[in-house]
Amino acid sequence: MFDLFYQFLSNTGYFLADYRQIIMVFVGCIFLYLGTAKKYEPLLLVPIGFGILVGNVPFFKGFGIGIYESNSVLHYLYFGVTTGVYPSIVFLGLGAMTDFSSLLAQPKLMLLGAAAQMGIYFTLLGALFFGFLPKEAASIAIIGGADGPTSIFLTAKLAPHLIGPIAIAAYSYMALIPVIQPPIMRLLTTRQERLIRMPAGREVSRQELIIFPVVAVLLCCFLAPTALPLLGMLFLGNFLKECGVVNRLANTAQSAIIDTATIFLGFTVGCSTQGDVFLTPKSLGIFFLGSVAFSIATASGVIFGKIMNLFLKEKINPLLGAAGVSAVPGSAREVHLTGLKEDPTNFLLMHGMACNSSGVIGSAICAGILWSFFI
Amino acid sequence: MFGFENISANNGWAMAVVGASIVFLGLVILSFVISQVHKILKLWEQRDEFFNRYKKQAKIEETKTVKAPVSRQPRLPSAKELTSIYRPLVEQLKQPFELIQLFEISNKMDLAHPHLSIKYLQEAGVLIPQGDGTFTWDKQKAN
Repeated sequence: MFDLFYQFLSNTGYFLADYRQIIMVFVGCIFLYLGTAKKYEPLLLVPIGFGILVGNVPFFKGFGIGIYESNSVLHYLYFGVTTGVYPSIVFLGLGAMTDFSSLLAQPKLMLLGAAAQMGIYFTLLGALFFGFLPKEAASIAIIGGADGPTSIFLTAKLAPHLIGPIAIAAYSYMALIPVIQPPIMRLLTTRQERLIRMPAGREVSRQELIIFPVVAVLLCCFLAPTALPLLGMLFLGNFLKECGVVNRLANTAQSAIIDTATIFLGFTVGCSTQGDVFLTPKSLGIFFLGSVAFSIATASGVIFGKIMNLFLKEKINPLLGAAGVSAVPGSAREVHLTGLKEDPTNFLLMHGMACNSSGVIGSAICAGILWSFFI
Repeated sequence: MFGFENISANNGWAMAVVGASIVFLGLVILSFVISQVHKILKLWEQRDEFFNRYKKQAKIEETKTVKAPVSRQPRLPSAKELTSIYRPLVEQLKQPFELIQLFEISNKMDLAHPHLSIKYLQEAGVLIPQGDGTFTWDKQKAN
């Protein structure tokens, strides 16, 4: 009887626990705390945080329980991550939720979205500098795009063994936008620049909104066909929304579909952070480079905004450059709040959304370009 | 491998420059195109007005054309026909002859546009000037 009891005890998580799993459980709890108590990107941090808890429950290996064991339920759910299915579905929903009218009203703001992608290429060099392999470096660099699904998509294609740390880094920095971006914005701009008011954009017609996804998918995907799984779905979602004849599909895409994909994406990415696989020196390097990528992306957007002002008659608020990263709508909201702190009547939210949506397109193009370099 | 050596060995500089250029180029083109979409749409919406204005303009020009004095060239027979018409007349004259003689005969025969026809035959080299105001008939060219 004691033997049986001892055998049972030796198979419990308490007996099998490793210090790395305990650390990760603690990290999972922090994610849950940030998501629920602080409301930092709760839609992402809650499923990821809970996934970290589930993924780090110690178990007896070899019985098809863990996410890295073939034939386990979690492994099948993780299939959507490793094949890039979930990111594409998330992009479909994202397209159905995005209103490109502010971007169409002021197309020059798209350049800020392009400038913010420079963080990706600086980080590519940084990661190579620190000795990462080229495919790993490209996967780490895409964190600079500040787009979780894009980071997961590219990493799944180039360095699947790094999905866990890269996804966690990307989503963490997205959640930490209110902490990371404002100091950089304030450091790189003068008060005078932060006070610049943006003119109201012109009214955008319905035809323009319908034509945009068609033109954009053709232009972008002819340029970088490898971005098709992301941009194709993004613009399909947007067309469903704007064409006005398939409202049922658009509503489903922007609610049930994206929510389902987000749950499974977040949860399985969280599960993939098994302590023994996740806590490695490489992961620490990825976290460090991820923060560099995100900071450089923010800084390059702001600096490019200042450069544009040298040539423009009608000056733009350089804070908007920080919204060129594709963390929708977090970075636009942060730009808006930073602007409001200087002048409570200066509303930058819609302009920030224009930069944000161009950032989404830009980072997806970057992912396509980086992938195509290794095909 | 670490450092700049690793960047160079893995073509990192080129990847960064080319990648950044492509994404910039792509978004610049896209922003240019979408900045023109509303102008194209405006033109498209005003197409009826544009075509009506164009039709109106064309009508006015047509009216003007009708009212204006027009110098119309009479329709002459072909070169072959002209030579065959004038050959029997020239045969009645003594070589070399003066153009006025040919003109008088053609008038008598009531031929259409004798002036223009003779001028045409002269330009075509069928009537050859002799330098003293007289002309001869070039049989070779006339054939």
